[in-house]
Amino acid sequence: MFLRKVEITYVSPCLADPQKIRLKAELSDDITEVMPYLNATVKAAIYNHEAPNLTLSKEFRLITLYPRELTMIKALNTTDAWQVIDWLQELINDTYARRSEIAPDYRRKRRPHPLQLYSWLPRLNCKKCGEQHCLAFAALLFSGQQELKNCEPLFSHNYREQREVLLELAKALR
Amino acid sequence: MLTAKAKEAFNAFNAGFKEKGKLLYQGKYSSHAVRFRAMPAQREGKEKVAIYLDNAATTYPKPEAVYKAIDHYLRHIGASAGRGAYRRALEADGLVFKTRKLLGRLFNIADVSNIIFTSNVTESLNLALKGFLREGDHVVTSHLEHNSMWRPLKVLEKERNIRITVLPSPEGKALDPEQLERTILPGTRLVALTHASNVTGTLMPLKEVGEICRRYHVPLLVDTAQTAGVFPLDIKELKIDLLAFTGHKGLLGPTGTGGLYIAPGLEIKPWKEGGTGGASLLEHQPEDLPDRFEAGTLNVAGIVGLGAAVEFILEKGVGQIREHEKALTAYALEQLCQVPGLTLYGPLNAEERVGVFSINLEDIAPEELAYVLDEAYGIMVRAGLHCAPQAHRCIGTVQRGTVRISPGYFNTKEEIEALSVALKEIISH
Repeated sequence: MFLRKVEITYVSPCLADPQKIRLKAELSDDITEVMPYLNATVKAAIYNHEAPNLTLSKEFRLITLYPRELTMIKALNTTDAWQVIDWLQELINDTYARRSEIAPDYRRKRRPHPLQLYSWLPRLNCKKCGEQHCLAFAALLFSGQQELKNCEPLFSHNYREQREVLLELAKALR
Repeated sequence: MLTAKAKEAFNAFNAGFKEKGKLLYQGKYSSHAVRFRAMPAQREGKEKVAIYLDNAATTYPKPEAVYKAIDHYLRHIGASAGRGAYRRALEADGLVFKTRKLLGRLFNIADVSNIIFTSNVTESLNLALKGFLREGDHVVTSHLEHNSMWRPLKVLEKERNIRITVLPSPEGKALDPEQLERTILPGTRLVALTHASNVTGTLMPLKEVGEICRRYHVPLLVDTAQTAGVFPLDIKELKIDLLAFTGHKGLLGPTGTGGLYIAPGLEIKPWKEGGTGGASLLEHQPEDLPDRFEAGTLNVAGIVGLGAAVEFILEKGVGQIREHEKALTAYALEQLCQVPGLTLYGPLNAEERVGVFSINLEDIAPEELAYVLDEAYGIMVRAGLHCAPQAHRCIGTVQRGTVRISPGYFNTKEEIEALSVALKEIISH
């Protein structure tokens, strides 16, 4: 087994949605080697080969993988988090086992889908950006007709995590 | 001659027996009390080994790994699951998840958030019935139910005016699926059944029942107290919507553990509210499972032990365990049928039952027989109504009760033979 164990080391409520949790977990093994293969196979993954790190989502949860650590935000509870970690561990080990069949992708960015952008917006439909709702804002963001900075709530303290993710995703839009 | 210890035991027993005898049996059994007074003397000098045959109540012993896991948790971890941001609490949380995952493998449940931990199957059935049934609902159940199913239904009949249709099980036979189909009405909201009777061992035709329930879009609640861990249970294949299990019987875990699987989309109202470790700002119980139903500190030590037990079962294979049970059941049926004056209730075919046997020996009171088996032979069995009076009505033993013999995974043919020899000695005395 490539990645033998994942151990949650920190849990706290999500800043933007206190009903959900964010967490950190330690990886028993360095997964740097598998990241380009994950980048090649995981849909909508954001990979930074220099750092290195790789961000991916599982439904509404966002996960960032580092060589010996991962972070997750918007998990429902610890049971949910453990289930996602299990899925991730399987994904990593399966990808590693199949690496001879996969062409590694070292490219830095992947263009995100508008719905992916939408999932990380505050989704308050406050119209402060001038759009009728956040989905329209996400579509325009994707097409380059809107800018992230126009989402006022996103830059408040409560949405720090989402902001970081969206800023990272927005790099891939340029 | 009786030993001093035996004399003391018999004197104590007879004192209580007379009082009990008047109440239940109108003094009918005093002659038997005299008869078995000599039993221990007959056994004097013979080796008395402990043979535990009450696994339908609680399995014993447990796999070694269960003792070790509980000891390790209590000694070296000890923290509450989900109640701290430090490593040990998170480790405890991980162990609880591990058990959930193992149970998911055992029952083929993909999303283990839908497995709720409870204290036992009684709590699971109460949660399912009281959380799901509404005013005026119609429920179909069977005559072989344990009081853990029957009593909550009767309470709901009184408090929520639910209508209960009870499928008959004459002589302890399994329900007739065609009859079940005929009883399902447009207003039927639930079919609630035991998988196997804790009195007769009768296995219900769960696969057929599941097909019928799915066809009529009626959720199926199954009490697996006597089958989880000893009978392959796949919620998808058997089309089970609510699976209630206990940890301390066939699952080989400790007492105080159990659970309920709730199929996605079924609306169950929680019956308790309280701390969940997270989402503390919320004034109401969180909506997400399992937290919605797991208010209060979990029995982590028990759950950890249950995890080790389920791991043991998965390693052995439930199919293999069932084969072992069937072989032991077939042998027990053969042996018991050779005992003169013995009445055996329920199916006579190992395929149609689990390893739970209700018997009576001539007109000896069940309590008396159980007492002699224990005192003189070291064989532990249960006597009485086994918390299932409806089942006893089916087999005609509601006034008298039965002796229940229930071997488990760790019992052997030799132990069944020892029981058979003991019963023959008792009846020939």
